[in-house]
This record gives sequence, C-alpha cells and structure tokens, in this order.
Amino acid sequence: MTFQARRQRDSLLFLAPYAISFACFVVLPVIVSLTLSFMQFDLTNRSAIQFIGLRNYHEAFGDSYFWQALKATLSYVVLMVPSILVVSLGFALGLNGMVKGRNTVRAILFLPGMFNVAVTVILWHWFYDGEFGLFNYLLKGIHGPHVPWIDDRSIAMPSIVLMSLWWVLGGTSVILLAALQQIPKPYFEAAMLDGAGVRAMFSRITLPLLRPVLLFVVVTNTIAGFQVFGQPFLLTRGGPELVTRGLVQYIYETAFNNYRLGYGAAMSWLLFAVIAVFALVQYQFLRRSTA
Amino acid sequence: MVLALGIVLLGVIRSAVTGQGVIGGHKTRIDFWNGFTGPDGRIMLGLIRKFNDANPDVEVTMQRMDWATYYNKLMVAALDGRGPEIYVIQSEAMPRMHRAGFVANLTGLFGDSPNIPRSDFDPLVLEQVTYGSELVGVPLDIWPFGLYSNADLLKKAGINHPPTNRKEFLADIQAIQTPMNGNGERDTWGYALTNWRQNFQTVLPQFDGYYFDKNGRAALDNPHNVEALSFFANLQNSKVLPPPDNAEGWVGYRQKKVAMVIDGIYMLGDLQRLEDFHYVGAPTPVIGNHPGTMADSHVLCIRNGIDPDRRAASERFIRFLSQNSIGWAAAGQVPARKSVRNTAEFRSMPVQYAFSQQIPNIHYLPRTTVMFEMNLELDLAVEKVIRGRATPLEALQVANKNLQDDLEKDAMERGSS
Repeated sequence: MTFQARRQRDSLLFLAPYAISFACFVVLPVIVSLTLSFMQFDLTNRSAIQFIGLRNYHEAFGDSYFWQALKATLSYVVLMVPSILVVSLGFALGLNGMVKGRNTVRAILFLPGMFNVAVTVILWHWFYDGEFGLFNYLLKGIHGPHVPWIDDRSIAMPSIVLMSLWWVLGGTSVILLAALQQIPKPYFEAAMLDGAGVRAMFSRITLPLLRPVLLFVVVTNTIAGFQVFGQPFLLTRGGPELVTRGLVQYIYETAFNNYRLGYGAAMSWLLFAVIAVFALVQYQFLRRSTA
Repeated sequence: MVLALGIVLLGVIRSAVTGQGVIGGHKTRIDFWNGFTGPDGRIMLGLIRKFNDANPDVEVTMQRMDWATYYNKLMVAALDGRGPEIYVIQSEAMPRMHRAGFVANLTGLFGDSPNIPRSDFDPLVLEQVTYGSELVGVPLDIWPFGLYSNADLLKKAGINHPPTNRKEFLADIQAIQTPMNGNGERDTWGYALTNWRQNFQTVLPQFDGYYFDKNGRAALDNPHNVEALSFFANLQNSKVLPPPDNAEGWVGYRQKKVAMVIDGIYMLGDLQRLEDFHYVGAPTPVIGNHPGTMADSHVLCIRNGIDPDRRAASERFIRFLSQNSIGWAAAGQVPARKSVRNTAEFRSMPVQYAFSQQIPNIHYLPRTTVMFEMNLELDLAVEKVIRGRATPLEALQVANKNLQDDLEKDAMERGSS
C-alpha cells in the first residue's frame, strides 16, 4: 500500500465514527421524516399505512390549528429576537466597559443558561404564580396591580419571552462581549482624537464591526425561536386558549398524542421551510449591510 | 480468565434478553408499566413486593412515568415489540390501544375461582373493556368525580353537611364566600373550578348531555350540553367563581381559601399528605335534573404476543392485584370489584366510600378513537366560556364543527367511524 493510500485510509478511519453517527442520527432521520411526510402513517392503524403524496401538506394549509401555531411561533420570534439582540448587546457593552468585577458579573449572567429548561420553568412558574408568585407579591408591596402573567391571552407570550430572555441572555452576551473585545482599541483612540462622541463611536465603529456576529446571533436565535417547545409546553401547556402553543408543540401533539406521524412529519418540513426562508432573508439583508 | 469472563458476560446478556435468571432456577421476569407517579405508586410498589414474596418463580418490576408522556412511550415500545408484559391504561384510551392491536384477549381470565368472576363487576365497568365477545382488560378501579369540601369552612358558615343538590350548592357558596374586595378577589371562595373541562364533564350526565348522536356524528352543541355549560357561565358571570385569570382551583382548596371543589377520587392521595386539613368527600351535588357523575377506570392489560410462560405469570399477577384491590383503595381509589367494595375495610374509608356511592350513576366518556381531539375541543370551548369570550352555544358549536372534521378525517384515514 502506498503512503498516499495509507493516508487516505487512515483519514477515512478517523472520520468514520462521526460519519457513521451523522448518517444514523441525522441523515437517516431526515430521509425517514421526509418519506413519512408523504404517507398516511398512523401508529394505531398500521394496516392503513399508505403513500398519499402531498395530501399531508395540503391538509396543513387548510388546518386552522396549524396557522394558529405558526402565528404563536412567529409572535415568539418577533418578540424574542429583537429583545435578545438589544438586551444582550446592552449587557455586553456594560461588561466591556467594566474594569473591576467583569468576570463575576459575566459568571452570574451566564449562570441561568446552565439550568435545564425544566428547572428554569419550575422557578419561573413560582415567579409568575397568580396568587403566591414572587412578581405579584412584589407588585402588591408597591400597591401595583395584580398581573395574570401566564393566564392572560395578551400577556402569556411576553411572559414566556421574558423567561427565555433570562435563560439565554448570558450565552449571547458572552458572544457579543468576545466580539467587542476583538475591536482594536486604536480605532476608538483615533476617533476620540478626531472629536467623536460615544454615540458616533458606537454607530460608526462598534456596530459595523459587530455586524458579522450580530448576523450570527440573529440567525441562530431566529432558528431557536422557531423551534421553541420546552418553555411554553412546560409553563403554559400552550394556553390560554392555545395562544402560546407553538408549531413544534403542535407537531409533537399530532405525532405523539394523536399518533399521526405522517402529518406531523409534513408540518415539520413546512416549519423547516419557514425557518430556511427567514434565515436566508436575514442572511442576505445583514450580509448586504455589512458589505 | 478471558473465557470465564466471556461466559459470565454471555450469561448476563442472556438473562437480560430472556428475563430468566441463571442462578436459582427459572424465574420469569415481568415488566409492569403504569402512570402511578404519586403516592399511589408507592402503594402499588407495596402490592408488587407482596406478590413477588408470595411467588418466588416470578419477578414483577414496575416502571412508572408521567401520564402525559406515558402513552407515547407505551405505544412506541409496543409497536416495536419491546413493550411491557403488563400495563395500565385509562379506559378512555382503550379504543386506540385496541385498534393498534396492543391489547391481548383476556376473556380466559374471567370465570370461576381462581379466575376473576364477571359478576363481581358492574356491567358498565366491564363494558369499557369489552370488544365483541372479548374482554381485553381487567378493570382495577373506578375513579368517579365527586365533591371535596373543607369541613372547617363549612362549619364556620353553619353548614353541617356537604350540599346534595343545586339549591343547597348555590346557598352554601353564598354562605361561605367572604365579601369581594376592589380587585374582584375574596379571601374565601365557596367554590372554584379545578380542571375546567372536567368540571363541566362531571355534571354533564346530570343534564342528559352527550358527545355523539346515535349516528356517531359529533353532537357537542346539543341543548343539554349548552345547559350544563351555561350553569358554569352563570356562576362566573355572577362572580361566585374566582376570576379566570387567577383561578384558585385545587391549590386554593389546599390553601383553605376555597371551600368546595369537584375533582376525581385520585386527588385524595394529595389531601392525605396534608396535616391539619379537615376534608369531606361527597357525591357530586345534583346540579342538573338527576344524579350523575363522570368516571373512568384504570385497566390492567397484557401485551399481545408474549410467550406462554410470561402470559401465565402476567395473568397470575393480574389476578393477585384484582383480588387485593382493597390495598389499592388505600391509595385513594374505588376498587372495581363489588366484593371488595362490600368489605368493612373499604366502608371504613370515608372519602372512597362516599364517592363509591355514585357508582350506580357513573358515566364513562364515550368510546372513541378521537378522544384526544374531543377533549382538546372541549378544553377550548369551556375556557372561552369561562373567560367570557363566547357564549356556551357559540363555543360548543365551534368545538362541534372541529370535532366532526376530526371524526371525518379519522374515518377517511383509518377506516373507522
């Protein structure tokens, strides 16, 4: 065996463990779910499993619950992505300007992200509880109104976003902080010599140089937002009146409560298409503005 | 050395795969799955230990999981032939499990001693597990819904027994509740809804309500159902129920802020853990035209297609549980067997016994494969009404239309009606 052939064989052997697991746990499920999406596949009626073409996709377009779930998902994304962007950038700027205690604050900020979603929800359930919750207790202390945090149609989704923000803020802030620290100091020094103010330095230096990282933050948080499941499922079960039931929860219920795997798979692919469109649009928009 | 280790390893693998121990002779291992994650699970564990001690050739191991995910796991495991030998399902889930072909025919388990006598069950209870001439499960218990009252709050209001009819129920609510403050709150409420839909479904039989018509079409918006739902809408409108955005429900009852709630007998286990809380169990008051309440049962099933050894051991275990269901009653359940309910021991369990008095008037949910969809529609309908966003008729009409769509989809896709 030549050296080249041996090298190629060794390379393949090194790649094999990951390639095999990738094929088994990513490629195969993708193929299976795509196949399922064209089938009538009900676990409780296996004798009626059959290929039905695009009927599942067609059904989704006429399914009011699908649109309701998509609307709930979109409202989460629309609230969550700008919030995480603004708040985490604010925290990152604050941390970047700190001389003492930065590591401690960063650790505290990062801590919630280490909690499991179930732990986070249990904690916030207590915060939000109408009668015994911390927030209403504090509001009562200042003679504030009683707020039905997770029981009111208009407040439930913002409440979920607030909880999610607390949960993921640390990670995003740390990413932005790292990006801020990469900006060469001489840029700011030169701008100061030229008489630039804080606002000008932020808009002319910081923001343009942060855009690639902001693009990353926006796209990853948009994708995560469309896939939101644990927070509403555990905190509100999708209520009140399904206003917080996102698409992933609806897919889960369709596939694993109603056992309609085919229809669930079709909705998953529609969700994938929505995410892909949003991610591409954001990517194009931000790439153009960073060029 | 390597060879010896290999042999031991092979033995362990064989034991794991076949469930038969290699030491101490033949031992049949039986997996038993259920959703008894509360105090009831501990009582069931005690019963299993008792069985295992009395049957050294069988080892039953129990796996408990939350009901919310239980059926998913059970269905997937059973589909792959890896499911447990014995499992518990709520009788409302039976139509789907039966259609999936996961439940074995247990007709042979019923009969004269040592088998389980059919006559020891109420016909309605046995009906829930009957498909054609086959019995596909053994009902372990009955869980009727009834009224839980806080004895101290009743006494404080000068009431000496829980209400039995609509007039008493409404009068007691008024007598117990404290004046409303500026925020629409009261320190003490006479009554609060726990699970909104289930409260509605509990009194539905009293109004002769039903879910499907004689042709199997959705009939949620029939006048009887509208009347039953209107009762709760009126309670909400007259501000005798806590505001829907701050529903006290079961937590409020536990906190002694609510005097009366309607819920299932299975909630008793939660109350038994509380100290200094004096509760009374009573039949659901007659709000409608005659007595009636909703009920369901835990049913013991055997998975289809297991080998004869395991099947025999499983049947032995089910017989044992059925015969010893007085032990299960302590977990806050009403045994399905009449002979067990007639024992002095059961009669000494005040709440269980009080709830069991409703058995002649219990109503199970309809036998349908679209149960999940139906309950979701009813959840939404009742929620809209309680929140004042729709009238009972409007809400039930929407629910009915959606349910009929689900029925038609089900019939088209699954070849059922």
